Amino acid sequence: MTTIERERHRVIGEARLLAGLDQDLQQHLLTHGPLPELTREDYVQLCEAVGLRGRGGAAFPVAVKLQDLPARGVEAVVVNGSESEPASRKDRLLLTRAPHLVLDGAVGLAHALRAPHVLIAVHDTAAATSLREALMERDDQLAIEVRDTPGRFVAGEARAVLSALEGGTAVPPGRRVLPTRRGYHRRPTFLSNVETFAQLAVLARLGSRGFSSTGLISEPGTQLLTIDGAVQRPGVIETPTGVPLNTVLQYAGAEPGPVLLGGYHGRWLPRTDGVMLQRPEVSAGIILALGSGTCPLGEVTRVAEWLRSQSAGQCGPCVFGLASLVDDFARLTIGDPQGWHDAHRHLGLVPGRGACAHPDGVARFLTSALEVFDDDVQLHLSGQGCGRPVLGVLGGAR
Amino acid sequence: MNKLEIDWTRCDGHGLCAGLMPDDVLLDEWGFPVLRGREITAGELPDARRAILACPALALRLSSR
Ligand code: SF4
Ligand code: SF4
Repeated sequence: MTTIERERHRVIGEARLLAGLDQDLQQHLLTHGPLPELTREDYVQLCEAVGLRGRGGAAFPVAVKLQDLPARGVEAVVVNGSESEPASRKDRLLLTRAPHLVLDGAVGLAHALRAPHVLIAVHDTAAATSLREALMERDDQLAIEVRDTPGRFVAGEARAVLSALEGGTAVPPGRRVLPTRRGYHRRPTFLSNVETFAQLAVLARLGSRGFSSTGLISEPGTQLLTIDGAVQRPGVIETPTGVPLNTVLQYAGAEPGPVLLGGYHGRWLPRTDGVMLQRPEVSAGIILALGSGTCPLGEVTRVAEWLRSQSAGQCGPCVFGLASLVDDFARLTIGDPQGWHDAHRHLGLVPGRGACAHPDGVARFLTSALEVFDDDVQLHLSGQGCGRPVLGVLGGAR
Repeated sequence: MNKLEIDWTRCDGHGLCAGLMPDDVLLDEWGFPVLRGREITAGELPDARRAILACPALALRLSSR
């Protein structure tokens, strides 16, 4: 028997996605009610009315994605459960503890789009087991498959997931094609993140009015956040959209100090006052608190090293650029001013020069680190260093 | 509306493109092309086509967007 590690979770405000955890189908239907049968137009209208955006990080409007699909011939609905951001826990939480909600979202939409296939890409056994057990209780009249895909960072990119599902390698292809036009087996495909489907299942039931009873006017509803780092209570939190970052930090018992918003491809915040958690800034909902006891530059370099190791090794500027940047940051940390100059030059050479957005994300993360930690940079360049050890609160390479 | 585009999964940094289109392509310190990103005018199209054909990795193309 596998013991499923229970992901820690909390709710601020009304619980929607986390309303009924660890429930069988019957209990799930009692908690959420039956899933209404909606048409494709219904889904487009609902998503437009509430401004629903994808929850995987890119925050693309779901209604636009739906409208980009051709009128007929949609091959598959793909649930991207690869959750490749190492700090993120929300998709794993949904897959292991609310699988019926995710399945409702995918199945409801597949019926509306008349797509014959639902594919769910996961990369850990607990999620796969939970989904397979949930599927045994259901009869959705569709071909639904749960597939294991590699858990590497770049393997979670939408087109890399499609490539893996087709039996190829999990790397992004060289051409920027849209899955809505050429997706699974080059056929029109609707692909989104796990949380997006759970949101669709809630939206289909509540309607746009009910869905909009909480959160921001521009993008109502709730969101799942993962908070980790220098906090007393790490884990997943469901909050209304637009909740102040400080509220979430307080709730999780975060140490005061700098915060990284949006995960390893995200941005360091110069201050947390007045920051509201919403898309696109919040990206996949990852909040990492650094605290004050660790060396920021050392932490950033560790993450950079990990990010470098995750490059799919396909594109020259990404391979050479990220390796150079790791070296630049390591030199800068030991007080070499040339490291600082090289880092700035290389940060200009990396964005937009790869088959996927990985180099852009790494550059965003490192550029914001140089801005926000400028005082530390000066200390290191003066040769004294900041006097703090590298605790590894952000994870990254060892 | 024509622009040069690179398939980064194919480009090996041979640098031939920079030699053939010095006004549009520079090479970075690792030998990979940096595109100026401007429009290719009708008059420059023959040169651009030549560079595309010359790329040993078939990594260059014209995008019309
Ligand atoms: S940009 Fe980097 S991570 Fe993305 S496909 Fe190319 S080598 Fe891989
Ligand atoms: S000629 Fe082709 S392979 Fe060589 S640098 Fe130019 S695009 Fe890359």
